[in-house]
Amino acid sequence: MSFAANLILASVRMAVPLLFIALAELYSERAGMVNIGLEGLAAIGSLVGFLVCFITGSAWLGILAGAVAALAVNMIYAFATVTLCANQIVYGMAINIFAPALASFIYRVYFGSGSELSQITLMSGIGIPGLKDIPFLGDLLFNQTPMVYLAYLLVIVTVIYFGKTRSGLNFKSVGEHPKAAATLGIPVIRVKYIACMLCGALAGIGGAYLTTCYANTYTEGNVAGRGFIALAAVIFGRWTGGGILLACLFFGFCDALQIRLQVANFGLPYQFFQMIPYIATVVVLSLIGSKKAGPRAGGQPYRREER
Amino acid sequence: MTKFKRALTSFVVPLLSILLAFIIGAVIMAVLGKNPFKALQYLGVGAFGSAANFGTTLTKATPLIFTALCACFAYRCGVFNLGGEGQFIMGSIVACLIALKSGLTGFPAILVCLLAGAAAGGIWGLIPGILKVTRGQNEMIISIMLNYVATLFMGVIYTSWLRDANVPQTPSIPDAAKLPRVFHSMRFTYALVIAVAVGLILYYYLFWTSNGFKLRAVGYNMTASRFNGFPVKRYILASFIVSGAVAGLGGSAELLGTQFRLINGFAAGYGFDGVAMALIGQLHPIASMVVAVFFAALRTGSTTMQAATGVPTSVSDIIQALVIVFTVAGMALVKLPEFEAFRLKLSGGKKKEAKKA
Repeated sequence: MSFAANLILASVRMAVPLLFIALAELYSERAGMVNIGLEGLAAIGSLVGFLVCFITGSAWLGILAGAVAALAVNMIYAFATVTLCANQIVYGMAINIFAPALASFIYRVYFGSGSELSQITLMSGIGIPGLKDIPFLGDLLFNQTPMVYLAYLLVIVTVIYFGKTRSGLNFKSVGEHPKAAATLGIPVIRVKYIACMLCGALAGIGGAYLTTCYANTYTEGNVAGRGFIALAAVIFGRWTGGGILLACLFFGFCDALQIRLQVANFGLPYQFFQMIPYIATVVVLSLIGSKKAGPRAGGQPYRREER
Repeated sequence: MTKFKRALTSFVVPLLSILLAFIIGAVIMAVLGKNPFKALQYLGVGAFGSAANFGTTLTKATPLIFTALCACFAYRCGVFNLGGEGQFIMGSIVACLIALKSGLTGFPAILVCLLAGAAAGGIWGLIPGILKVTRGQNEMIISIMLNYVATLFMGVIYTSWLRDANVPQTPSIPDAAKLPRVFHSMRFTYALVIAVAVGLILYYYLFWTSNGFKLRAVGYNMTASRFNGFPVKRYILASFIVSGAVAGLGGSAELLGTQFRLINGFAAGYGFDGVAMALIGQLHPIASMVVAVFFAALRTGSTTMQAATGVPTSVSDIIQALVIVFTVAGMALVKLPEFEAFRLKLSGGKKKEAKKA
């Protein structure tokens, strides 16, 4: 297959973990909860996903366990920020420090400090009969792991949920103006907790994807900033499902491009290519500027009694 | 709350958090089938047991003090500089290049390396600062992205450009450019003295000068400061430069004083650790330095603990992470109106005891 076709295929694959993590942030921010702890949530999801897959041999169970673990960790964030009204940014940082420490601790306790890498079998792809035989497009859209289909399905569900359903509009109102939402009888605190649960689970799936569908082994720091790039993807995608999909495809493309360029070997040190996704994030953020499009009450604590 | 009470709370909450984190750490050790009391004893001995051990603790504390001060200073101005690690690394890269290539020796070499390191860190910190004030962009994401760029750039240096023959690391800097030890019997060097001096200067600036007051005012309420005519953007830029320079200085001091060469894992995690220490230290430069020594003690001691009892060193990382999780939640808890009401109800009958607590 040609260089370009390979590149596009790889872009789609690299976009998937970002997409899960960015959608996690979207649900969180739509309820006014800015969570910069995604990197940590993905790290714990990645480790637990790997571990469970290693023990049970099932990538699906791994993904599920990764989601549950990250959800559990994010409940600490939810309790501290929603109930105790701690600063969301500060607490997100606390999660970014706590969750990776927990992940590497579990890994070292379970596998010891030996140097050999344990490996798992990756989730296999499922081709959709008939459609997968279309040249190129078949491979791109209909011959992937189920997680890829799930990610795209999730984008569609998200767009419909926030755009077309009453419940989705209620959800959004919590992020825009929680007090007005409360006067309309929307259970603000409950919505915020649900948002945090969704955020934890999705970020955990994004992390678990990295070990169970992509790398087949766990290494410390394997999330490699995707949690923060996902934050940028949410801003770039203007807090909409479709926008986030495009942003993640773009960042996935940068990631795929750097791998391809490394392989192509232009005689430059490989680290220069590895910088591409990070520099692209900085450039994109600088270009789109500060046009405020996010939920208006994002990052603010909500106290029922306060006037 | 009176000023005194607030100061008291900001001591009590971190201390309780540390206690709680140690209790959980002990439970984890017990679950692993080790004797937690023995392990904690070795932890203490390893960190403070002898002059040499304490020297190692102070050596490990030095880079952490720099990154903690870096995070602390920027946050006092209301901006989150999460790029301490990148700024630290850029400082160490520049110091390494100068030490290896300039041919300078002795005191001039050290001085030039330190100043150039600080400048490199300041410039690296200026990038998110400029994007923040001109484009209104999220400084956290940008500064973190630049951490990865700096780490990868350091990789270029030690794997390609200045590689030491077959080993992926740079050659060691010449002895003449190394920072000397303060006491012969203890490992720490003048890097620690510089770190403490920087901490004291930042403390003096923030709390005893009118510019420092204005900088904190900007951090406390940007809008009000703007209406007061404070040059908010200039303060933000300055805080990024200074905080980056502090980290960059730390990077060069670490290279000249402790590690002598760039290698994989140089400075890994120092940036976020710095943020954690600044937050536990309630964004107070001196308190942050004390927390840095505490974190360093945990790390030094945990090596002894692992050798003696088999408890993995990563337990200390968990304890450290729990301290931050508890401190931040605890500080939020004591600020809740419900907590204040609860406290008043408790102290209603017996005021004297409440004051003691």
